[in-house]
Amino acid sequence: MTPIREALYLPLVFLTVTLLGGVRVADRVALVPPPLFALVLATMLLSILVRCGALVPERLMRADRSALANINGLVVLLATFAAAAQAFNIATPESGLPRLFCQVFLFVLLLNTLVASPDRVRVLRSLVVIFGSAFVLKFVILAAISNPGEGGLKRVLLAMLEGLTLGTLTQAVVSPVTGYVAFAVLVLFLLGLAMLPARAGGLVRSDLQAHRYELTRS
Amino acid sequence: MVGETGLRALGLAVAVGYSAFIFWVYLEQPQTTAEVIGGLSATVGVYSIDQQAFDTGLRFFRQDQFVPARSAFERADPADRDARTQFYIAYSYYRQGWGRLYQDDQLFGLGLEAVDRAIALAPGLIVDDPDLQMKSADELRAELEAGTKQDLSDLNPLRALRQRK
Repeated sequence: MTPIREALYLPLVFLTVTLLGGVRVADRVALVPPPLFALVLATMLLSILVRCGALVPERLMRADRSALANINGLVVLLATFAAAAQAFNIATPESGLPRLFCQVFLFVLLLNTLVASPDRVRVLRSLVVIFGSAFVLKFVILAAISNPGEGGLKRVLLAMLEGLTLGTLTQAVVSPVTGYVAFAVLVLFLLGLAMLPARAGGLVRSDLQAHRYELTRS
Repeated sequence: MVGETGLRALGLAVAVGYSAFIFWVYLEQPQTTAEVIGGLSATVGVYSIDQQAFDTGLRFFRQDQFVPARSAFERADPADRDARTQFYIAYSYYRQGWGRLYQDDQLFGLGLEAVDRAIALAPGLIVDDPDLQMKSADELRAELEAGTKQDLSDLNPLRALRQRK
């Protein structure tokens, strides 16, 4: 990894995600810090990234690097954690049952990914799907239900949810700007994850396990 | 090697500065660009009000033209960072909302918000202006707060004899 990526690009990308991840535009602009559960999810995500080789902490901090380089590495790790917390913060519904279900859903998905120990590429693809689904749920489906107007999508969703009390589903109405900001934040976050120092040589855990298995057989 | 060290040092400085900015923004929750710029400049001690607009506001204030006075004060202190200007804004709400028989609760409420900002910026603020009967922000706050409360003293007919401060 080049020094400029480690010292400048990655911190800037992740700190921007941290800054914008809490933006909620309604009648006024609010900046929402991450809830405690987002910190738990961020910790799990970092564990997954380390296990799958998408993030190798030894390439950021180790004894034979200079103190300044190690501090740069520490900044990248901290910024990644903060950005992950804010990415979960912006992708999770704000209140009610959707928030609870989404949090449980994300927790189980991350736990499953952590246990399955997939390789880097699969983890990154999986994260695109996880964050993409959460984005669609919050900013398309729930936003349509919560919208005071009578859009076509809302009518369809209301028909599908017939008999369910909408008070448990509706969210505080936010400006569409929040959705665009969230989209940019999640794309930037996923790009940042792809830029992290990965395991060198392209060998990932599953490859190494397969290689070890072949050696044992022969 | 020197280039790499310089780059790493620059990156660290940028990251620390950016982190401090994020922390500040989340703490202060500014709503406008003026508030961001004003808040940051106040943090590093270089914020100053538009003195000409302040003087204009003061002139309107002394002529009991409170709406244009507030407009000028807000122009003078767009980031709401100057305690003295916020004090005058609060005082203008007090004088405009004051009545012999009733108080305008909405104006007094806005006055409370402004005086709270002034107190937060400069606790124990005293404004030495001979035109004002209440010179301390705490006194003004107590007056505004009392005006928004409803109790039995509101029915006292002697209230009609009191003077605006």
